[in-house]
Amino acid sequence: MAATTRFVLTPYSAEFPSSNFPQLTLSNRRPVLGFDAATKETAYWTVVAPQGLTGTLHAKIYYIMASATSGDVDVNVAVEAYAADEAVDIDAGTSFDTVNAVDNTSVPGTAGYMDMIDVTLTNADSVAAGEYMRISLDRDAADDTAAGDMQVLFVEITDGN
Amino acid sequence: MAVLPLADRQKIWRGLMRYWSAHSEGIGIQKADLLSAVTDIDAFLENNSTAINNAFPLPARTALTTEQKAILVAVVALARWNPGFLTNILGSVD
Repeated sequence: MAATTRFVLTPYSAEFPSSNFPQLTLSNRRPVLGFDAATKETAYWTVVAPQGLTGTLHAKIYYIMASATSGDVDVNVAVEAYAADEAVDIDAGTSFDTVNAVDNTSVPGTAGYMDMIDVTLTNADSVAAGEYMRISLDRDAADDTAAGDMQVLFVEITDGN
Repeated sequence: MAVLPLADRQKIWRGLMRYWSAHSEGIGIQKADLLSAVTDIDAFLENNSTAINNAFPLPARTALTTEQKAILVAVVALARWNPGFLTNILGSVD
């Protein structure tokens, strides 16, 4: 099945935790989220799962490295989804499904060249059309090797690939 | 003094990566290699601190404070290999 774009998550539409969040900044006047090389940082996006949602979701992360020309990056994407009648106290916590990880993606050999990491969202919290849905993205900075910020330009969420 | 504690070397390491990221300056080595470089340069300064101090002529060797001599060493190093960065510190000097 051909991939269908469901969401485009941009830096300006991101939401942030109270600490350890990526810096919302500009790279050559382009908005980016700068994920640190030394601290694990997380960003969230809130969406409504669209009608007609089928298949396995993918998060396609388009990024550039601010300075690194070697090494790799590790990313984690997690999903939480709630139906209207679910007995979950969402003002008191979260219930993200198990993270979907893609590790050891080699960065481009030239800083500023764009690359894409395709994360298959095998663990998508059984999301169904019409549900309140949040997507989290973090860089697993403790384990990857590339120096300097990973600057995320946007994330495309597709169903199918 | 002894070598810097690991936490301080890691601060330098994080700071350098953030500085170079903010200035889109290429880093051709990986994170671990950069931390090793910080560690080894710190050890070099520790092991050669007497020689560096003896390189100061009198009366500078005894009259300048340790902090002033540290700035002097850093400034001369920057002037030799990174004059643009030095301008950020001292401004344009005639």
